[in-house]
Order: sequence, then structure tokens, then C-alpha cells
Amino acid sequence: MKVGFIGLGVMGRPMALHLQRAGHELHVWARNPNRIGDLPVTVCATPAELGRQCEVVFTMITSSADVAGVALGAAGLSEGMAPGSVLVDCSTIAPEAAREIAARLGEKGIAMLDAPVSGGVQGAIDASLAIMAGGEAAVLERVRPLLDCLGKRIVHVGPNGAGQVAKAYNQMIMVAAIEAVAEAMRLATASGVDAAKVRQALAGGSAASRVLDVMGERMVRRDFAAGIEARLHHKDFGLALAAARASGVATPLTAVVGQQLNALMAQGWGQDDTSSLLRVLEGA
Amino acid sequence: MKIAFIGLGIMGRPMALNLLRGGHELTVWARRAESMQPLLDAGARAAASPAAAAVGQELVISMVADAPDVREVMLGAQGVAQGAASGLVAVDMSTIAPSAARQIAEDLAAHGIDFIDAPVSGGEVGAIAGNLSIMAGGSDAAFARAQPAFACMGKNVVHVGASGAGQVTKAANQIVTGMGVLAVAEAFAFASKNGVDRAKVREALLGGFANSRILENHGQRMLDRNFKPGFKSWMHEKDLNIVMQTAHELGLYLPGSAMAGQMFAAMVGSGLGEEDSIAVLKLLEGLSGQA
Repeated sequence: MKVGFIGLGVMGRPMALHLQRAGHELHVWARNPNRIGDLPVTVCATPAELGRQCEVVFTMITSSADVAGVALGAAGLSEGMAPGSVLVDCSTIAPEAAREIAARLGEKGIAMLDAPVSGGVQGAIDASLAIMAGGEAAVLERVRPLLDCLGKRIVHVGPNGAGQVAKAYNQMIMVAAIEAVAEAMRLATASGVDAAKVRQALAGGSAASRVLDVMGERMVRRDFAAGIEARLHHKDFGLALAAARASGVATPLTAVVGQQLNALMAQGWGQDDTSSLLRVLEGA
Repeated sequence: MKIAFIGLGIMGRPMALNLLRGGHELTVWARRAESMQPLLDAGARAAASPAAAAVGQELVISMVADAPDVREVMLGAQGVAQGAASGLVAVDMSTIAPSAARQIAEDLAAHGIDFIDAPVSGGEVGAIAGNLSIMAGGSDAAFARAQPAFACMGKNVVHVGASGAGQVTKAANQIVTGMGVLAVAEAFAFASKNGVDRAKVREALLGGFANSRILENHGQRMLDRNFKPGFKSWMHEKDLNIVMQTAHELGLYLPGSAMAGQMFAAMVGSGLGEEDSIAVLKLLEGLSGQA
């Protein structure tokens, strides 16, 4: 199948390669063509041109505005994609933005899924991502063989926007857990106890979690080089808190963790890993 | 002075009336025609649009709900910029985000219009009495031109700094009042749960370092369980959201404001949005089993 991919960052690149390895004919467009490097792909001049060539297009980019620009802007996907083709947006953006873009594309007969992912760079490389999809079930079934190349757990959450809502929950739980691990590590060290040993002991009990495992390990090693850049979690917390506000729901823990992320950004660690929340505590 | 006033709600109407009383020549516009009537009865002239209201004026003042409304009346298709002569001073007294105010100032400057953000504190009571606190951001020259109008509406008028500085000050005001109301409510919940008379606690605290206008006024209304606004909690929530948005953009650590913002958001979500912000007391009492 002719498949388009836009957004060849740390997540997008391994995802695109999986699609190609599965035998699909890959077309790409990149704002910065240097990003494409020596990938054996067809390079398109604009998103519109890419859209003309492909039955299914994936996007994996940063913000709501970026997705709207690529999909609906001048020389955007909507100018090229044929009725019946599908846009699968794997970016993490606001649920409202996802709904709005889906509606606009729908006017031209183009289907869209919001399909944000969880699992980080390692999950993208291992093709073991969790994929949370919002959109029509029939559209998901059409592209499921492609998603199977990228992830293991593919869940149809509901209509357009529902995937992004699920992703917001994912971020709330995960980053709050990172903060909890950081506070425990900090307290262990301050109490004169070896943080590595504490982590090892906890890993066998009720506090065991993937975050304790992966992020806790990074904290012990003081390896703050990005996995996923903290600025992206900071962005996601803005989305989650805005969604909570729009629903009139109190999310006090998310609010406080969001402030820790603000402090992290103020320290200039936005491009480092979110395990840097430990460093925020050490500075306080 | 020839002044146009746009937005005649709870705050805008008495403010405009005070300008008329101060001897200024007033033109008004409001989205709903019936809002204009009290001003027309008092001698103001009606305009068909913000653009029409701005024609031939020295000063245009807006008092509307939020940033998109300010943009629309200033820069929309029928906005002030379409009717204004170059050299006009436009003053917005609504509470909006500092970044939005700076952007509007920049866009109006392209039309040769000087902009001042001048949000107020003091509520409906202050608007009627003409003793609002006014915190202004903009150029010295524009501030001087607007000063005669400010003098009719407010008592404590401070030119804080450049564009956006007025809104920054108002946001700072909402941080202090938001957490202040929450602090007094928590102190009252704490006293009652310990079986101590909160009225006595208030009386004792008024003599010490915890004394404040909020303990005095809001504290009394909490004792009276008088939750009528005053200042509606949904508006305080809106203002704290401006604070938190700005903190997010700047990388600014405001854990107390974040928590207060959550409390006000919960009030809106649980149907207390139209009550005064002191109704946060009900939320605390409910969660502490003091209902």
C-alpha cells in the first residue's frame, strides 16, 4: 500500500521504518528535509503532493497548530488526499482540535483517526506501542493492519477526540508517577539510604511500576538525556488541565505536578528527560 | 472630553455614568440595545457599532468579558480601528491575559491607535462609588490623555508600566485575593472541626498579623453564610486561569495559585459558579464532613 508519513522525529522515524519493512511503499514530507537523511523513501515537495499519492497518511508531530497546518493549511493534506483516504494522526494534541480537524476533513470525504501512542522511543523501536484510537470503527478496521506494524495494544476508545482524551489520562497518570518516584528517591537519599537499593526493593512490591522501573533507573544513574523530552509532557499537562477546566472537574494532583513541570522548564531542562523532576526537587 | 464607552454590563454601566457626571461628552455602544437605555436617559448618545462610536472621539473605553470580546470590539470588522482617527487613545478595562493585551496594543499601533490596558479592582460597589483601583499599562503620553477619565471612575489610579503591565498587576491581585479567600475559608473550617467558634476566631485574628480586608469583609460574609455575589466564583476561576496559562507559558512555579485555581474550578463544576467566591467554604466543609 502507498503510505505517507509526516514527522520523522525520535518517535516518527522508527514508526515509519516499521511500515516500510512491512512492505509498504513509503512517501514522506518533512519541514526540515535534513530529517529525511538516507531513508529509502519517496520524498514529496508538499503535504498536498504526499496526500495525492497515498491511501493512508500518518502524522507524528508536536502541537495542535502543527497538525492543523499540515492537514488544512496551504498546500496541506486536504488539498491532495482523495475522498475515501485516511489520515491517522499519532500526535498528542487537544481533543477539541482533533475533533475540529476530523470534521473539516470529513467535509471533503477524508476520514481521520486520532491515534496517539504511549510507550516512548523504546516502544516505537520495538513496535510495541499502545495505540488509543478515536474515530469510526470501520475506519480503524481499514488501517488496523498498518497499526499492527507499530504497536501491540490497539484500542478503539470512541469517536474522534476519544483517543486524545485517553492519551491525556495516560500522561496524567504517568507524569504523576514520575513525580512520586522522584520524591521517594529524593527522600531516600536525604535520609542517607541508597536510592538504588530502595528502587530495587520496591520493584518487588505493590509500588512496582513501569515508571519506577524505567524512570527510576534513569534517576539512579542520573541519566537525564531525553527519552521523551520533558517539554512535551509540559505541553500535554497544559492540554490535560485545560480539558479538566472545560469539564469543571478538579484535578488537584495534576495541577501541582504541572507546577513542578513549570519549574523544570524554568531551569532550562525542557529538552531533557522528564526524570529531571528529581533535579527540580533537589533544587528546592 | 469626547469619550466613547463600549460594554455596559454590571461594571461598565456605573463607570460610564460616572463619566457623564464628570461632565464628559459620552457616546455608548453595547451588544444588547436595552443595556444602552439607562445611559441614553442620562444624556449619552447611542452608536450603531464600535466603529461608529469611535468616530471623532479622543478616547474610547471598553469593559467587556474576555480577550476575544476585546479583540472583536477593537479590531473586528465593525471595530474601533475601523472608525478611529489616527492618534486616538483606546483603553480596555476588562480583565484579560497580559499576552493578549500586548498583542492588541501592537495591532492597534499599526492603525495609529495608542492602547492602554487598565483593569480594575473594587467590584460593582467600587464602580458605583467611583473609587475603583485602576492599574494601567501603556505609554506615559497615552496614560496622561486618559487620566481625566480615570479620575471620574477610580481613586487609586496607578500607571504600572508598559503595555500588559496593568493586566499583570490585575493577575497578581487575583492571586492574592484567590488564595486569601481560600486561606480564610480553611481557617474557618479548621476552627469549626476543632469545635471552636469561628466568629470568635475571626475577632481574635483581626487584631494580629492575619488581619486583612479579606478576613474582615469576606470572613464576615462567610459567618453570615451570605453567598450572594459580590464577585462570582466563575469570574475568579477565569482570572486564575489567566494566571495559570501565563505561568505555563513562562515556566513559572505557582503551586499555591494552582491549588486555588483547582478549588475554583471545582466550584464551577459543582454548580457554585454563580455564587460569590466565598462559597469555596461550602466545598471545604463538604469534603471535611462538616455539611
